[in-house]
Amino acid sequence: MSALDVTSLSVGFGDRQVLRGVSFDVGAGETVVLFGPSGVGKTVMLRAIAGLEPRARGRIVLNGRDVSAAPPEARRIGMAFQNFALYPHMTAFENVASPLNAQGIAAPAMGERVRALARLLKIDHVLEHLPRQLSNGQKQRTALARALVGEPDLVLFDDPLRNVDAKLRYEMRIELPRLLARRATPSLYVTQDFREAMAIGERVAVLVEGGIAQLASGAEVYERPATLAVARLFGDPPMNLVPAQAEARGGGVLVRAAGLGFGFATEMPDDPIFGIRPEGLVLHRDSGPGRTAAKILAVTPASEQYVVLARTEGGIELLLSRETPPPSEGTEVWIGAARGSGALFDRTSGLCMSNAPVMEEAVA
Amino acid sequence: MSLALAAVSKLYGAGSAHAVQAVRDLDLEIGEGEIIALHGSSGCGKTTTLRMVAGFESVTKGEIRLRGRRIDRLAPARRRVAMAFEGYALYPPLTIAENIGFALRGKKSAAKAEVREIAELLEIGPILDRRPSGLSGGQQQRASLARALIRDAELHLLDEPMGQLEPQLRAVLRGRVKARIRERNYTAVLVTHDQGEANAMADRIAVMEAGRLEQFGTPDELHERPANLFVATFFGEPPMNTLPAVASEDGYDVLDEDAAVVMRVPAAERAAPKGTRVVLGLRPRRLELGGTMQQGTVVSNQWLGNQAHVALEVAGRMLIAVRPARVAARVGETIGLGFDPAHLHVFDAASGAALAHRREA
Repeated sequence: MSALDVTSLSVGFGDRQVLRGVSFDVGAGETVVLFGPSGVGKTVMLRAIAGLEPRARGRIVLNGRDVSAAPPEARRIGMAFQNFALYPHMTAFENVASPLNAQGIAAPAMGERVRALARLLKIDHVLEHLPRQLSNGQKQRTALARALVGEPDLVLFDDPLRNVDAKLRYEMRIELPRLLARRATPSLYVTQDFREAMAIGERVAVLVEGGIAQLASGAEVYERPATLAVARLFGDPPMNLVPAQAEARGGGVLVRAAGLGFGFATEMPDDPIFGIRPEGLVLHRDSGPGRTAAKILAVTPASEQYVVLARTEGGIELLLSRETPPPSEGTEVWIGAARGSGALFDRTSGLCMSNAPVMEEAVA
Repeated sequence: MSLALAAVSKLYGAGSAHAVQAVRDLDLEIGEGEIIALHGSSGCGKTTTLRMVAGFESVTKGEIRLRGRRIDRLAPARRRVAMAFEGYALYPPLTIAENIGFALRGKKSAAKAEVREIAELLEIGPILDRRPSGLSGGQQQRASLARALIRDAELHLLDEPMGQLEPQLRAVLRGRVKARIRERNYTAVLVTHDQGEANAMADRIAVMEAGRLEQFGTPDELHERPANLFVATFFGEPPMNTLPAVASEDGYDVLDEDAAVVMRVPAAERAAPKGTRVVLGLRPRRLELGGTMQQGTVVSNQWLGNQAHVALEVAGRMLIAVRPARVAARVGETIGLGFDPAHLHVFDAASGAALAHRREA
């Protein structure tokens, strides 16, 4: 049985339909990430599931219980918000215990539960401190303990790491999935950061224009984005998407884009767009077959990799990423594709037609 | 020399019991055509510093010179500085095109072409005829950036210039803006709390903490030669691995939480006298999996599209290894690990100061 089953969930504000009949599930003990650009309706979705959205239509089933009409407090859902906000006048203990008060649990049992969770989260030594006496990491763990202490049927996380510093965010990316797995707590986690989505979610649901464009493992979404919109959103630096020409060739299509040629075993697209990840492009100092002449416009180092913006002779901008320092800005280079890299999209349908180029060909 | 700050301090509420020293004795020298970033967490003094250079804040102590000219007592408009600031708002009654071209002199047709060009560079061409209200935060930010970049000023000050952009636009715009600054040979100071932005845009980064300058160097220097433990663990994503240790006869003894020796690391040249408490630092790229120096338990193995991040528990401490390809290691499995001692950074445990850095093989 799924922990959460959402069927045909719709939310509209006046003329604007934010969610249009969305259906998906969260398995027992599973963490699903809800990924999408700002304003796409991720928070609205969480609010609807929590019972805080009066305009929600559709069916929400938690562990087999239909809660579509149930008030928020009867749904047994834990929530954690951006910045993991705490009640400033309560100690860490009181903050963690606050959902249990509402459940009417006796003090000794409550104390035991809070302390067990606090030990797991390494905040047992600061339970008597007020939030302002806690470090940022301790605050975050306190809020996390509060979301989990009631042993909810589902935890909703609304972009909890958005505004924390890089170090803490990184630690939580590793700790949070461990903790959720250990307690087998099913959860739905909202983020706009694709790395966080890949790190935390067993599956990732990409929300685009009111619907789920793809629901798959993070690696699948990254390697085989189902639509142009997913390809554009999932990845940083993002996938290069360039206008292309296609012609029928031996049962497949030959696609020319940015001065490079690729074969795909698929039908003719209506309006072809060629996509390739920045790490799928290779910089060369010399010309050669399957390479296109370009100039390096800028080098923008990222953590643990270098990002290069180059412009081909045909005026197409391409982003490349690599492990080693690239030639400097202004250098004339040649760009080729790594074997097997590249995808073909059709702008008319918005769908990916193939992500397996079967040959590469030099284009004069 | 383009911009020089000499012993610049900012004290808020001087003489009162609640005086706050926002910036302390800051020395910075920035070359002509250089792009630098003031970087640190909130409250570190980076924005106060930028506002003192712009003239929006008075300088409590010290001097600011631009091309040799002392500017710290001049009105903002007389400093020959172009700025894109948060809250340095666009003029509401003017269109975006009029806002961007506001400070341009000379022929109207030439100015119009220039506005069009910078707007296309920043992907705001389609909104040139609209007014600021009703535009998204990201669009307003780009309009403000365009207004600064179009001006041929002696110095460009950019406050979190691309903080509100969607990731799919950010990588390309960072590249284009950097290329534009280079092409015009502008000198630019940007403030950012975002390490990605500082790394991507700046030739040199000034890392600030609690009003002090911790280090001023190229991204490579901050990465490979961090001045202290603060910079070492603040800069770099994922952060540098750290291992408390004590200098031994022929290297370092790594300690666990109870100060028991859990690993001996040989070192040809020891950076501290025997018995000194140190912290060893190792970048996640330099931690090798499958080594024989130590055993670790795999805590997580995350594939992030083009990098694998593997977390290992070793003697009660967490270490991270980053690899450019997928790693076959299951959670819970015990695997060997190791590293070349030449890749270690050594810090004094008491002061945090760097004692030795990783050497090139």
